[in-house]
Amino acid sequence: MLEMFEYEFMQRAFVAGIFIAILASISGTFIVLKRYSLMSETLAHSALVGVAVGLVAGYNPLWAAVIVAVLFAWLIEYLRSHFTLYSDAILSIILSGSLALAVIIVSLGGAFNNSLFSYLFGSILSVSYEDVVTIALFGTPALVLLLLFSKELYFITYDEEVAKTSGIKVKLLNFLLVTVVAIIIALSIRVVGSLLIGALMVIPTSAALQYRVGFKNTILISLFFALISVVFGMSLSFYFSLPSGATIVLTVISLFILSLIANKK
Amino acid sequence: MSLKFKVPIFDVKNLSFRVRGANILSNISLEIFNGEYIAIIGPNGGGKTTLIRMLLGLEKPSSGEVRLFGKKLKNFKEWHKIGFVPQRASLVDANFPATVEDIVKMGRVAKRGIFAGFSKEDTLKVEDAMKKMDILDLKKKMVGTLSGGQRQRVMIARALASSPEILILDEPNTGVDMVSQQRFYKLLAKLNKEENITIVFITHDIGVIADDIGRLFTINQKATICNNPKETLSCEEMSTLYGIEAHVISNHKHEHSKDGSC
Repeated sequence: MLEMFEYEFMQRAFVAGIFIAILASISGTFIVLKRYSLMSETLAHSALVGVAVGLVAGYNPLWAAVIVAVLFAWLIEYLRSHFTLYSDAILSIILSGSLALAVIIVSLGGAFNNSLFSYLFGSILSVSYEDVVTIALFGTPALVLLLLFSKELYFITYDEEVAKTSGIKVKLLNFLLVTVVAIIIALSIRVVGSLLIGALMVIPTSAALQYRVGFKNTILISLFFALISVVFGMSLSFYFSLPSGATIVLTVISLFILSLIANKK
Repeated sequence: MSLKFKVPIFDVKNLSFRVRGANILSNISLEIFNGEYIAIIGPNGGGKTTLIRMLLGLEKPSSGEVRLFGKKLKNFKEWHKIGFVPQRASLVDANFPATVEDIVKMGRVAKRGIFAGFSKEDTLKVEDAMKKMDILDLKKKMVGTLSGGQRQRVMIARALASSPEILILDEPNTGVDMVSQQRFYKLLAKLNKEENITIVFITHDIGVIADDIGRLFTINQKATICNNPKETLSCEEMSTLYGIEAHVISNHKHEHSKDGSC
């Protein structure tokens, strides 16, 4: 079992994967409770536009993905607050629009190849040293911000208007949350892939919610499930030569189903 | 009247609210002073909730001005002085991961600095608010498992945890049974008398509240302010306010007329 750690690429993949599990599960708790689950899917597709630009123009695709995902997150928040559009309609429009844009950029640039495939479904083989550094560089401040404002964000997810009348800066914190989530999603694209990252954000929390425990314990259970899924999923990916995103997601779904059965009313 | 020389908690002048050309509220002016116990009544769609939302800065008025503790809303920073319990607050999402203590603690969040955890003072205030609402024994219970009446007391404890000077409640009895409602009104009166917390609440329980309240605001696009609520609760005025023929059945055991109506 431990022989996989003899390979440097697996060491890199595990460091990146564990960091991503921590980031995705903690931010995912707020996303699920705020009914923003579809937002993670939309931002994952938006990040793909950044990857496409990076691949075609020769920039670091992960950096480009972070920048583009953050810009799209701000665009979604702007549309949500300034136009009379339903939130899920905005997310759906941007999801398909950004995917279409990514495909066109990649097609025009002739970069429709295996490299793009690895960004869609995740690949432990492709996690480079630069990727690990990028994940740590953006992921650390994202995690610090989430933890610093966790009590305020929890209050907002419970009742935005009551939080506002209590003096919490709701607009600013919502803006901060979507920015942090955009960064986390873009960073996760290497390990889990853009088509599957939404699952790593939403499913661990959905499973944890089945245990009907307080906020802190819900986050801890969600974190535990995300870590198990990443470690087990990446091991399966290594031994059976499967895309890591798919094995991670199937593992977390298995944990979700077990949680559902164990907590059936 | 000495009240006139105090700075009002709320000072509302010529407040109007229009949506797509339709007047929801027109030219409302009122003052709310420290220690008052005020009920707001009126028909559905009459603008009661909109008025409360404008007072709290949740809706922007089309014209007019709201001052809170003498300050314009946009300059007001001491939000811990306000405790707000919104409509249907007791109908909390049953799956929301929160214990009673988690919810009541939220009342202290805005008082903390970004880098500070909950202090000993926060813990004491949270315990005190739970004691006042008689929910201390429920503190580790999940909110989703409580009854409507218990949840209602949790929501008020959350508002009390910030040590507010005024408590604003929008139809707090939605989803709450009759016994809990009576207990609730006793609690409100106690908070007003013993803790000197100003109480403003929207209600449809006109008969039940008449005994305790100091002033009554009737809102139906315009505001009528009544300093003697028992006088306002006449058939004629109720009929005008609600736009139907109303019969007021007195709640006072020894004061009602023979047929129980007017």
